[in-house]
Amino acid sequence: MIRMGLELNKLTHKVDALGANAEKRLADLNKRLPVVQATFTAASAEQESLRKKAESVIAKQIRWAGAIPTDEPIRASFEKPEHPDRANIIAADGSQIPLDRHAIAQYYVINIGSIVFRHGLPDAPSIYTSPEVFFEDEDIYFENNTLSTEMINAKRDLRELGELARLAGIESALAPTVTFVDNSLLLYIITLRESNQSFSDRIIKEYLDHLTTIQKSGAAVAGVVDRPGSANIVRLLHLSTLEMDEIVPDNLRHVSAPFLHFRDETLFEFLKPGERSALFVLASSANKTYYEPFGHRVYFFFLNAGGRGTGNILRVEIPEWVAKDKMKLDLVHASIVEQSKMTNGYPYVFIRADEIAVVSSNEREQFQQMVMGSLIKRGFSPSVSQKQFGKELTRTGKRWR
Amino acid sequence: MTATIGRLLRSSTLDYVFGCSVPEPEVPLFGAFVKAPAQRGKSDVIGLIYNIAIEDDPFVRQMIATPDLDEAYIQDQRVNRQVPIEVSVLAIGYRSDGGFIHDLPPQPPITLDRISPCDAAEIKHFTERLDYLRLILFAPDVPADELIAVSLRLAADCQPSEDRDRFLRNAGRELAKLLSRDLARLEKLLKRLKI
Repeated sequence: MIRMGLELNKLTHKVDALGANAEKRLADLNKRLPVVQATFTAASAEQESLRKKAESVIAKQIRWAGAIPTDEPIRASFEKPEHPDRANIIAADGSQIPLDRHAIAQYYVINIGSIVFRHGLPDAPSIYTSPEVFFEDEDIYFENNTLSTEMINAKRDLRELGELARLAGIESALAPTVTFVDNSLLLYIITLRESNQSFSDRIIKEYLDHLTTIQKSGAAVAGVVDRPGSANIVRLLHLSTLEMDEIVPDNLRHVSAPFLHFRDETLFEFLKPGERSALFVLASSANKTYYEPFGHRVYFFFLNAGGRGTGNILRVEIPEWVAKDKMKLDLVHASIVEQSKMTNGYPYVFIRADEIAVVSSNEREQFQQMVMGSLIKRGFSPSVSQKQFGKELTRTGKRWR
Repeated sequence: MTATIGRLLRSSTLDYVFGCSVPEPEVPLFGAFVKAPAQRGKSDVIGLIYNIAIEDDPFVRQMIATPDLDEAYIQDQRVNRQVPIEVSVLAIGYRSDGGFIHDLPPQPPITLDRISPCDAAEIKHFTERLDYLRLILFAPDVPADELIAVSLRLAADCQPSEDRDRFLRNAGRELAKLLSRDLARLEKLLKRLKI
């Protein structure tokens, strides 16, 4: 009998090709790296002119996902500041049971997990979960269409920040407090805004309100991205090679060789464990249109959080009011490094918040059983779609032909 | 109300395993007498703790090498994280109609049943007879001799002080009957009991 499914033997030669391709790509990037690094060094010597170029892009309202230098030299590095003896480190993360039109009923679940780690106290951290099931029409539909995965993700992001705002209100009176999401502060839903404007606007407004609540509580806030795929600084370096009169949309739409396929992370490998890079302003139109008017313009920096080998580079996003408050900025910087000491360059509270929030496949099944029980009690004969039923039949056991 | 020291994870008529969070200094202990409800509360399965295991955890493994680990991290791992300590219990009898039967229970306890320590009066009552010792002696995969020695000492402590030596001598005689064909093992066991 032959086992069907993913027949790995049929992919062997492709996997070999994949490995060879990765090797080739790396060799190509390594070949171009000295040129990119030299451009970085040259650009850092002309920071004022570079900033003018970046600002002219914004002034011309060109769509450009680059970065604007601040007063800090763009190739500077900053050592880990002193960590306060006592500080509250708060993180929240979310998980969900997605909306599934093949399921027995139309619903989705968002579960937010959070942790308050009281640095300097010997007590166990406080942990919370906040699960909620959504099933009303207004939860499921938007303009006659069921909510997309991105829309539900945006609602989850919103709840994560809402939980941080709630906890910041409780904790920040007691000690310096920093709140973290393990995501960008710039909502992804904004990039999809054209197809669902009023939905996105509502989410963004509430998101910015939560940022304001955190600001008023006196706590700091940051979004942290591990293995960032961003290329904002790479685009800035590409911009540095253009003359002022060459700054036109066509020249900025794509980066060309030698910058092609480079990620910012590679540029900041010079950071030693514990060091952060200079601050930059995220030069996206969404940042200017939505975040800036409320004082939440997003800045970012790169940080070597330590860990195995030469360390782990994280991208850290903060609102303007954190970037311009040295105590808050230092707290963000120091607490990430401190929290990453025993977890190889990724903050402990993030790992725990994820663990607290995650909905396992077992829990998902148990919840489905609860829903089924509720429907049966009301005289329904709930069933999944025939497609889902077929999948359950074939996926629960071994497949043989 | 009797203290709960854990909840049942899995069971059979021979033994059961319960999970608990951070062990208290007093419970659970190797050799301790515990009970779990069975038959919808009509009965209690009496058992002896014969193994306490803390499962491997990759997250903790990563933290082990960290020097000067702050107490808050340790407390988070011990108090908040759902990594159960697994406690294995050998069934040695059950309660039925107010008395104790020294035999395998008719039904095992059920998942999530509360596990409680037996109090001194229950232990004294249960060990009035010592027929249960044969269930331990011939149990597979159990450190039987160590378990007998420790549990008999714990049971002796539940006797009035003037009766403790007599209780242990009776236990020795019972073991001598059960191990009459294995004198070497008997000798080692009696030495452990210091009879």
